[in-house]
Amino acid sequence: MIRELVALTRRELLRLARNPEAIATSLLLPILYLLLFGQAFNFGAYITGPRLAFVLRGGPTYFSYFSAGMAGFVAVTATLFIGANVIFDRLFGVLKRTAATPATATSIFGSRLIAGSIQPIGLAFLVLGLAVLLGDLGLTGLQVTASVTAVGVVEIVLSIVILSVMFASLFLAIGFSIEQPQTYFAVVNAINLPVLLTSVALYPWGLLPSWLANVASYNPITLAVNVLRENLFAGATAYYPYDASVYLLGLFGWAAAMMVTATFLARRALAPQR
Amino acid sequence: MEPAIRAEGVGRTFNRTLKAVDNVSFTVTPGEAFGFLGPNGAGKTTTVSMLTGNLRPTAGRAVVDGVDVFHHPEAVKRRIGLVFQEQTSDSDLTGRENLELAAALFGVPRRDATATIDGLLDRMQIGDAADRLTKTYSGGMRRRLELAVGIIHSPRVLFLDEPTLGLDPQGRAGFWKYVQELRRDHGMTVFVTTHYLDEADSICDRIAIIDHGRIVATGTPSELKDHLGGDVITIRPAREDRSLEAVLRAVPGVLSVASQDGAFRVKAPRGEELIPPLVNACAHAGIGLAGVSLKRPSLDEVFLEFTGREFREDEGMTATDRAVRVGQVQRAFGRGGR
Repeated sequence: MIRELVALTRRELLRLARNPEAIATSLLLPILYLLLFGQAFNFGAYITGPRLAFVLRGGPTYFSYFSAGMAGFVAVTATLFIGANVIFDRLFGVLKRTAATPATATSIFGSRLIAGSIQPIGLAFLVLGLAVLLGDLGLTGLQVTASVTAVGVVEIVLSIVILSVMFASLFLAIGFSIEQPQTYFAVVNAINLPVLLTSVALYPWGLLPSWLANVASYNPITLAVNVLRENLFAGATAYYPYDASVYLLGLFGWAAAMMVTATFLARRALAPQR
Repeated sequence: MEPAIRAEGVGRTFNRTLKAVDNVSFTVTPGEAFGFLGPNGAGKTTTVSMLTGNLRPTAGRAVVDGVDVFHHPEAVKRRIGLVFQEQTSDSDLTGRENLELAAALFGVPRRDATATIDGLLDRMQIGDAADRLTKTYSGGMRRRLELAVGIIHSPRVLFLDEPTLGLDPQGRAGFWKYVQELRRDHGMTVFVTTHYLDEADSICDRIAIIDHGRIVATGTPSELKDHLGGDVITIRPAREDRSLEAVLRAVPGVLSVASQDGAFRVKAPRGEELIPPLVNACAHAGIGLAGVSLKRPSLDEVFLEFTGREFREDEGMTATDRAVRVGQVQRAFGRGGR
């Protein structure tokens, strides 16, 4: 089981490494958002003091608040293609070949989950690093105003990892359930934007209508970025009803549910055809 | 001796109505090369999918290398090799990486894996290209790699599902050379599906002819050809003439006469000796001829004999048409799946 998981994960990583264009493309979106979108919303010019802290839940600037949201957002966008790879592997016979070996469905699914989560996790931390770096380059950058503890670092890492695993599971589940690439991308687009737009990844929380704030509070991206923002910004905890560990727990619940569903669908797709 | 493959009444119905495979039974002895011969859509791949644990049957039972396939598909997958008709090797990996992956998935002991892979790469003559991405391989190289992947774990039973589809004659010959070597060196049982009649003739010890999901004949290539009763002389009259059949039947040495598309198929043990008297008989009867041809028995003829039509005649027929035709064939020849 371990050997086949390692071998299949290696296969996925080799394929990823041999497609530098895909990696470069995945970098483009967060860079554009950081350089353009994040720089454009200078709330500090109009809202200041406690009011700004309330709107941004302790974030010193919109860009700082937004950077944490972007780290969560890329966990979604960088996992989009994972399910498509399943579909293309099915079309090109690779999945058929793998299913004809003694490899378990759990290994086949697990290898794709591990390999598919690595890229978004890497990208999320790249976003945070780049966001800090922009401040040093004379642009608006991410200001970490809290003193981040070791526990905080662990919480931040866990939130990114769990969020990436959750969305990787979601898109794998869709990939194992759908046969045509066109249908896959239609479904993924139908999920992608609603998930993003019902989270607080990009919205200033304090400006949201209450119904949207309520909906967003259950969104997995929101749960992950709450953990980041609570740990990165001084005094932020005052604006959050729960401790970061509670959000982590909620996020874990989402991920667990998604993994169970995806594993079931992968097993069904890889079982002898009925 | 326990058969390498035993299928008993195996069937597969899709959507509750379309019988892709119907009551198929046969046995394959260890070390034998057994061929499933039939046109596209005959049920060959469906049968292979069931025997290799990749498709659940709707009827019957099958045992491969001592394991009940339908109850223990995972156990069967460990024991068999399978080469698909399409390319399934990973084009983003090198030949060696494809084999390393297969070795890990089939549980080839680590200490043996490298030597096994090197040996297979050399044997299949892709050693020089071992570290190139397989997307750069020629069709023949990829087929040989597929075969290497299929036998990485030294299976006792190897399933080949139309493995030379799309290859040029040279590539096909090369592929079968390796398969014959495997049989000779390892005593591997080979189950092959093909619609290349010449391949089935030269590779297989025994052949089952499958048509519309049913086995219509089984035997060695010689047995099947002998069943035809000898050579086939096709005589085409210059103008349609109903009296020609009686004229031909009257010639001594003629075993049978059947009409087909305006021509007459005459069976005779030594066809070349019978052509002059047949032509003379036609001349005496005042019947002009447009052409005469002699065909030695081939599996083409066997297929025609057992199914009543040319090999690829009815591709594209509907399931209903096929069911009707199968019924006609069964009634005409009084044969079911054996």
